[in-house]
Amino acid sequence: MARPRRGVTVNSAVFTLAVLGLAVTSARAQDVVKIGQIEAQTGANAIYGWMSSQGTALAVDEINKAGGFKVGSKAYKIQLIALDTRGEPKEATVQLKRLIEVDQAKYIFGPFLSNVFLAVRPYAGEFNGKILMWGGATRIHDYVGTPGHEFLMRTWNWDAGNNGFGELMVDNLVKTTGAKKIAMLFQNDQGGKVLEDIYVPMFKKKGIEYRLDYFEPGTKDFSAVLAKIAAWKPDFLFPSYADSYLYDIVRQATETGQLKKFFLVRGSLGPGLKNKDGLDEYMVYVPKYFEEAEKKDPKVAKFVKAYKDFYKRDFPYDQAPLCSASCYDHVYMLVEAMKKAGTVDDPAAVKKALMSMTYDGLWKIRFDDKGEAIFNFDVVRLKKGGALEVTHINPN
Amino acid sequence: MTQLVLGQVLNGAIIGAMYGIIALGITLTFGITGIVNFALGEFMMIGAYATYALAERGGLPYPVAVVPGCLVAAAAGYLSNKAFFRFTRNNLVNGLLVSIGLISIFESAAMLLWTATPVEMHFVLPGALRVGDIGLPKMKLVVFAVIVVVIVATYLGLARTWLGRAAFAYAQNPEAAMLMGVHTPRLETAVMLYSTGLAGLGGALYASLYSLEPAMGGVYVLKGMEAAILGGIGSLMGSLWGGVILGVIEGVGSILLPTAFRDAYGLAVLVAILLFRPAGLFGDE
Repeated sequence: MARPRRGVTVNSAVFTLAVLGLAVTSARAQDVVKIGQIEAQTGANAIYGWMSSQGTALAVDEINKAGGFKVGSKAYKIQLIALDTRGEPKEATVQLKRLIEVDQAKYIFGPFLSNVFLAVRPYAGEFNGKILMWGGATRIHDYVGTPGHEFLMRTWNWDAGNNGFGELMVDNLVKTTGAKKIAMLFQNDQGGKVLEDIYVPMFKKKGIEYRLDYFEPGTKDFSAVLAKIAAWKPDFLFPSYADSYLYDIVRQATETGQLKKFFLVRGSLGPGLKNKDGLDEYMVYVPKYFEEAEKKDPKVAKFVKAYKDFYKRDFPYDQAPLCSASCYDHVYMLVEAMKKAGTVDDPAAVKKALMSMTYDGLWKIRFDDKGEAIFNFDVVRLKKGGALEVTHINPN
Repeated sequence: MTQLVLGQVLNGAIIGAMYGIIALGITLTFGITGIVNFALGEFMMIGAYATYALAERGGLPYPVAVVPGCLVAAAAGYLSNKAFFRFTRNNLVNGLLVSIGLISIFESAAMLLWTATPVEMHFVLPGALRVGDIGLPKMKLVVFAVIVVVIVATYLGLARTWLGRAAFAYAQNPEAAMLMGVHTPRLETAVMLYSTGLAGLGGALYASLYSLEPAMGGVYVLKGMEAAILGGIGSLMGSLWGGVILGVIEGVGSILLPTAFRDAYGLAVLVAILLFRPAGLFGDE
């Protein structure tokens, strides 16, 4: 067998290295930014997480199909790793560990549920400065902007305070209806306790008489507690925070004619619309009234069309407002912040960029000095028979 | 207060009947075939969504949609039995494992098909019957009547027919029943079909009262289990009474005590009764 000449061997090696080098350069030119997501996509409280994960996947798909995005001279695509916590704190903690330690994701979307957030917070805190967590959970309000929680930002409007939608809604309720007695009916879990902590002091301050009943998560028949509440004769019923319960509460309350006026700071317009003939008034906080916005705002119309094309199903109008939480807009906002910061690897620098920007997408989103989102929202009043009155609110 | 309590006695009895129909499925499956099917709640969910789809999307009148709704649930039960449950006879752990797996599969499939957004049927029979301050939705009364008729018919069918006697014989001694000419595999399949079809009926009736979501089956299978144990596993009428007692305790308990512990009231009474009657109220010692 003829021995290969030394020159040919060296040339081959150089060629091989050059090809490998090109391949590596090419792979780097299309590097990947990983976004992890921990939301309840199934389970009784899945509505928030389900819609969030729907919007995130859509935005990631749009960005990747457009060729990704560039930071400096480098192009990136996004890899979304969306895990279903089922609303279970233990499961979420394991999933977050996987996202951070195995998948090396630096950007985490979620959680929306407070019980899940409280469980994952200590672990996430170990990576302060190394990750950026964007969650909608109400309990994030207690920690965001405090020392040791620089990794945290909240993507949902806060209920109380000058920009608080809850405060604005209660004011509006008292001024327009003269309500003096409000019955609260919350599920006996972290979310219910959060609402109690926020709204009981608010009602006390405004001199509103209130009663508070809790129900067990998983309840479907509310006849007993509704009968008890109706006997107290409240002006408004302030029920729950998840549609999975609201549909039944509103239906059962109106079917027997026991309670006909509702005040909601969580949940959708859907239960009211479904029972519009049996109720007198249904006042609800809606991050966006999509039915109206679709007709007026081209960005919203484009989003609705993209959703239908991507998922090949009807657009969930009643759930779509939840896209305001760690969802569609936030992926684009994160990309803009990375471009502005000039890095995809430094969450602290990206956070700094986020804090200084206003993103004009489906919502106009900015963050306060603690890292809590402030965005425009709507208050919808549904009257008997289906007449609607929409008020647009732009917090200062 | 008297009116409130009386209202909840009636309402609790109706809700309890819903627990009873699941309890009947549990008691039939376990009592006769020795198979533990904790996934009955999922067959209820399948029946509920199938009925919803046929009535709301397919345009069938609700009473007509109920029949294929039950059949879809029974068909899912048949396939589950052929693929998994028939291998778990008299093995609690294996039955539990298969059930957990099926719960996960059915729930995820429902999520894909229907999403987490609750769906709700239009009022099948709107309005409530009012007596004084007590208001009972008319549809709840219809549901109660249907369940009572089904449970009594099942009882009579098992007590007075050859098939029923064959089922009891199989429950007592499968080998002896087989030697006496009972086609035991077919009987086992029939029991699974009937119990999952019953769960499907429970789901179809449930759909006329409450909103549907993929995770709805979990709560009802637990209540059904409680009702079956309270009534006595193996007692058909016991499953109805177990459900009714459980429903009434939960309803009245919620009026007199904090609603947040509604489930606990039923469980506390269940434990108290089991202390004195370990086989349940109507079960054989």
